[in-house]
Amino acid sequence: MYNKVKVVPCSGIGKVYGLMAREAVLKTVIELCPEKSETVCLAYIVTGDKEVKEKIEGCDCITVDGCPKMCALKNISIVGGIVKEEIKVLDTVKEHKGKKFGSPTKLDADGEAVMSEIAAKIAKKINEIN
Amino acid sequence: MKTELKIGVISCSGEECLGGTISRLATRKVLEELKMIGTVTLCLPLYLAGGEEERNFAKVFPTISVDGCNKLCAKRSTEKYSGKINGFIDVSKIIGNENALNTKIVRNKDLKDEHFQMVDKVAIEIVKMMSGVCPKSYSGKFDGCGCSG
Repeated sequence: MYNKVKVVPCSGIGKVYGLMAREAVLKTVIELCPEKSETVCLAYIVTGDKEVKEKIEGCDCITVDGCPKMCALKNISIVGGIVKEEIKVLDTVKEHKGKKFGSPTKLDADGEAVMSEIAAKIAKKINEIN
Repeated sequence: MKTELKIGVISCSGEECLGGTISRLATRKVLEELKMIGTVTLCLPLYLAGGEEERNFAKVFPTISVDGCNKLCAKRSTEKYSGKINGFIDVSKIIGNENALNTKIVRNKDLKDEHFQMVDKVAIEIVKMMSGVCPKSYSGKFDGCGCSG
């Protein structure tokens, strides 16, 4: 069976970078690569339920994290996902010093632009995998 | 010395459906706008990715979970890794299952007035639940009421 690449963000609730990770992943799976990728709720993965483990285990995954704690990466690894790429929002953010990205609730124009940049990186990787 | 009462609100923030987005935004709204009391939150995946401090979250703070759908991932994970919670909110019971499981409208930019009204409704329910939390549930660290008097 053809497996879509699982793209999972941290969706961190405390900082704007968590929202950037979340929105970049949603833009990718809904708009840029809907045929080749999908997301899975990270909270569901944290439960460790058999059903979600089966969904992730052995599948190609891309994780997108907003902070150095790398929650998405760690949780995907725990349930047996094959992490093809670990994207760190801060790596892209560093290239845009001095800009204001918004809040954990809403992205400003610069936040949207950098989020789109991250989404493009995710899409590029998906196209390399599939 | 009196310690300020704080309540933890932990959202599932599920990425697959609208309920997750509403749970996240309603939790943020309570944190940012409806500051009736000290509110703290934690990224749910930190239970597995973080350390003992994160896993003790619900042991330290009276905690309410906010879940987008009836899988109740935030509730179950909090109770599994962190301790008993003081209340839980199932967003799908407030906005309806069909809305909660909508997989087409999940991104912030796709939200319309009707969705922000859902956020408001859920935020109100969170605040109502917070107001019912017993100060004594503050893990022995709380020794005063939440008022400024």
